[in-house]
Amino acid sequence: MTILAFVLLLQLQVPDAQQFVGPPKGQPLTGDALFQRTNEVGALLRCPVCQGMSVADSPAEMAVNMKNQVRELLARGYTEEQILEYFEKSYGQFVLLKPKSPVVWLLPVLALVLGLIVVFVKLKKLQQAPDPPTANRQPPTADDPYLARVRDLVSGEKS
Amino acid sequence: MNRTVLLVGVIIAAVLVGVLFMGLGKNPAEIRSPLIGKAAPTFALRQVGTTNTIDISQFRGKPLVVNFWATWCGPCWEEHPVLVANARMLQPNVQFLGVVFQDQEDKILSFLAQRGSGYPTVVDEAGKTAIAYGVGGVPETYFIDADGVIVAKYNGPMNGDIIREHLQKVMRQ
Repeated sequence: MTILAFVLLLQLQVPDAQQFVGPPKGQPLTGDALFQRTNEVGALLRCPVCQGMSVADSPAEMAVNMKNQVRELLARGYTEEQILEYFEKSYGQFVLLKPKSPVVWLLPVLALVLGLIVVFVKLKKLQQAPDPPTANRQPPTADDPYLARVRDLVSGEKS
Repeated sequence: MNRTVLLVGVIIAAVLVGVLFMGLGKNPAEIRSPLIGKAAPTFALRQVGTTNTIDISQFRGKPLVVNFWATWCGPCWEEHPVLVANARMLQPNVQFLGVVFQDQEDKILSFLAQRGSGYPTVVDEAGKTAIAYGVGGVPETYFIDADGVIVAKYNGPMNGDIIREHLQKVMRQ
């Protein structure tokens, strides 16, 4: 029975990372280094069945399988770049928690710079604008009939 | 200045509406997999309930429908009779293959015994095949042409029309 299981195991073949990213380019990891790097690389991959959780954080079976795959690839000497590329080739950029496209990082900075330019231009125009016409008005005199009427109304309310 | 602001606002709104319209017009089940147009990842997995190994390359030469599913997945129950009926109707011209992952052998066998089976089903023990195919949830189905190239991917339960529509894409290749 054991021999049969062994023969069957030899016949089984799962898709290998080599089909996607070629042979390993790094050093095989073991022990604590393997544990630590598995968590670090897993934290860069999105769990496809979770809401915004990384493979390192999610307890979902899919994420656990992906984390095991990361561990196995690191143990075989695959680099972080190769592992991320492997998952990206299967799932697309969606699986990467840090997008590769620089546009995603540049857009907020671009929006901020544009906003600052608009504020600067607007402020400069306000400074250059002529003083409002109220500046040319004469201050009201003590015998201004309008002020006298206001004083009457105010004193009337008090009494 | 006010006209400029208005113009810029209208342009931004138009772009946003355009992007939303394009997104809303898409079928969420039609997933644009990066594997489309590429050679299907090769695998040889154990047929459920047996010690036989089924190698995907043995189906080269005719269209292949690879369906990832599991017994705990409700929509897979709904889809199963459709797949079985189409597999029986289209054989021997089209091959169907079921790949079960994150499941238990006895549950798979019981499911197939109760609901019938018209094509081979293999077990993806550690989910590595599902990962290589970019499977997120089940059911997900890949349509592979006679040369072993992935032509389309469908996410969710399929009906007969969806299967025929995707097989036509495969036949056109």
